[in-house]
Amino acid sequence: MPSLANTENKLAVEITDLHKSFGSLEVLKGINLSVRPGEVICMLGASGSGKSTLLRCINQLTVQDRGEILIYGDPIGFVRSPDGKMKEAGTGTLAKQRSHIGFVFQQFNLWPHRTVLGNITDALIIVKKLTEEQAEKIALDRLEEVGLTDWKDEYPSTLSGGQQQRVAIARMLAMEPDVMLFDEPTSALDPERVGEVIDVMRELAQKGHTMILATHELNFARDTADRAIFIDQGVIVEEGPAKDFFKNPKSDKLRSFLKRMGNG
Amino acid sequence: MEFEFRFDIVWNNLSLLLEGVQTTIVLSLLTMVLGTVIGLFVAIIRLRVKRIYAVPFIIYVEVFRGTPGLIQIVWIYYCLPIVTGFQLGELTSLVIAMALNVGAYLSEVFRAGIQGVDKGHIEAAAALGFRPGQITRRVVVPQAAYRMIPAIGNVFVSAIKLSSLCSVLGMAELMYQGQIIIANFFRPIEVFTVVAFIYLIMAYTTSLFMMYLEWKFAWVRRRDNSFWEKFKYISRAAFSLKPQGDI
Ligand SMILES: Nc1ncnc2c1ncn2[C@@H]1O[C@H](COP(=O)(O)OP(=O)(O)OP(=O)(O)O)[C@@H](O)[C@H]1O
Ligand SMILES: [Mg+2]
Repeated sequence: MPSLANTENKLAVEITDLHKSFGSLEVLKGINLSVRPGEVICMLGASGSGKSTLLRCINQLTVQDRGEILIYGDPIGFVRSPDGKMKEAGTGTLAKQRSHIGFVFQQFNLWPHRTVLGNITDALIIVKKLTEEQAEKIALDRLEEVGLTDWKDEYPSTLSGGQQQRVAIARMLAMEPDVMLFDEPTSALDPERVGEVIDVMRELAQKGHTMILATHELNFARDTADRAIFIDQGVIVEEGPAKDFFKNPKSDKLRSFLKRMGNG
Repeated sequence: MEFEFRFDIVWNNLSLLLEGVQTTIVLSLLTMVLGTVIGLFVAIIRLRVKRIYAVPFIIYVEVFRGTPGLIQIVWIYYCLPIVTGFQLGELTSLVIAMALNVGAYLSEVFRAGIQGVDKGHIEAAAALGFRPGQITRRVVVPQAAYRMIPAIGNVFVSAIKLSSLCSVLGMAELMYQGQIIIANFFRPIEVFTVVAFIYLIMAYTTSLFMMYLEWKFAWVRRRDNSFWEKFKYISRAAFSLKPQGDI
């Protein structure tokens, strides 16, 4: 939920003319995207189309070459000085900005040297400066939400992929981010483990969180997303309400993509 | 012709060897400490600065890894006073020479250990709002330290053996004392056998200590932390089987 008071009329995320190249490879070619608070957006696209890069730009794990990203009106990676000029944010400011944006990785990225509980409490203690007891209480609540309370003292390596991803989601939730980003959260899972993670994400969507997901789970996108976006070679080719999107794809590219993904 | 082992000569002169052991331990420990400082410094510089500024450090590492330790020690022992104009004590210059050698190897161990930390773990911390220093302390160091311990142990063991080269410059450490006894009694086989055995004890003690550290750092402990489990772990480590506690 937005932590800022005056957020009613603001967009949760507003991306304007975002460009990013790696060397001579132009990966994002002018992305524009607005996300309202509480909206759930699914991003589809072939491998290499730039989905991860776009998500990573939103919390500045990747820094764009050009273009602007506003989170509830504030530019990420930059600070607006009183005279209206933009200045690059220092590492402390950037860290602070990132703490309001949740990110779930394809590979979970839990810290192997910390227990499940430690993975969740660390950021609360270090970033949010909570006491150990406060952090633990929040962590246990979030673990309950993802159904892993019994695993709190285990180390990540003893968990299945699906369980690890649920812990990673709990870790992100504990920070109460304003926007949640998911980069193919189920792609590294065994097929029989996908469902448990999808269920957790569906619940988050129903609770009204603002979510942007890159995913290949078409069913999830169809049922749960408010809006779907199709990215191809660094441009948004098509976007629309998730329901129409799958029923009546307009562009040939999306039609053939959906066919390849087995969407009848 | 029959050869008769005369170990009694060694036993009669054991006190000489033990004096040498003391010097060897002092030389080795000082070398390890100073070498670790140098190694950390060089590794961090090499990871932090642009490649051109790292060139002098790359040259340092390659020179000290690629030339014989004996020549390094002799060269620094004689040339350091000439180049710097300082007359350092015998012990000091030998320790500096060996620490430069050990530091070159350790810097590579540290660099690989730090670089070996999964980038995803670092990004996860960054995404949660950790500042760079916090990422280093909370994510990089704990993971790198654990993984580097066996490699650090190897370098430390080499440092003990490296110190034997100081005998060439008249430092009365274990090897030197052994050679004195040999010169007096012409019994190289017996003396060297015992000297080698003493080096082995020192090296193995170092290895055991590193295994102990590894065990202390092992974050994936068994849920069962009983004495029996600890005993099994240490004894497995002592016989160089792969320690438990996979990452
Ligand atoms: N750090 C990087 N350096 C160089 N090239 C990169 C980097 N990150 C991504 N790329 C390239 O950018 C392109 C887009 O990558 P991106 O990861 O955004 O695609 P994606 O849509 O997420 O694909 P996937 O479905 O495989 O995850 C790819 O061709 C990739 O090789
Ligand atoms: Mg991707």
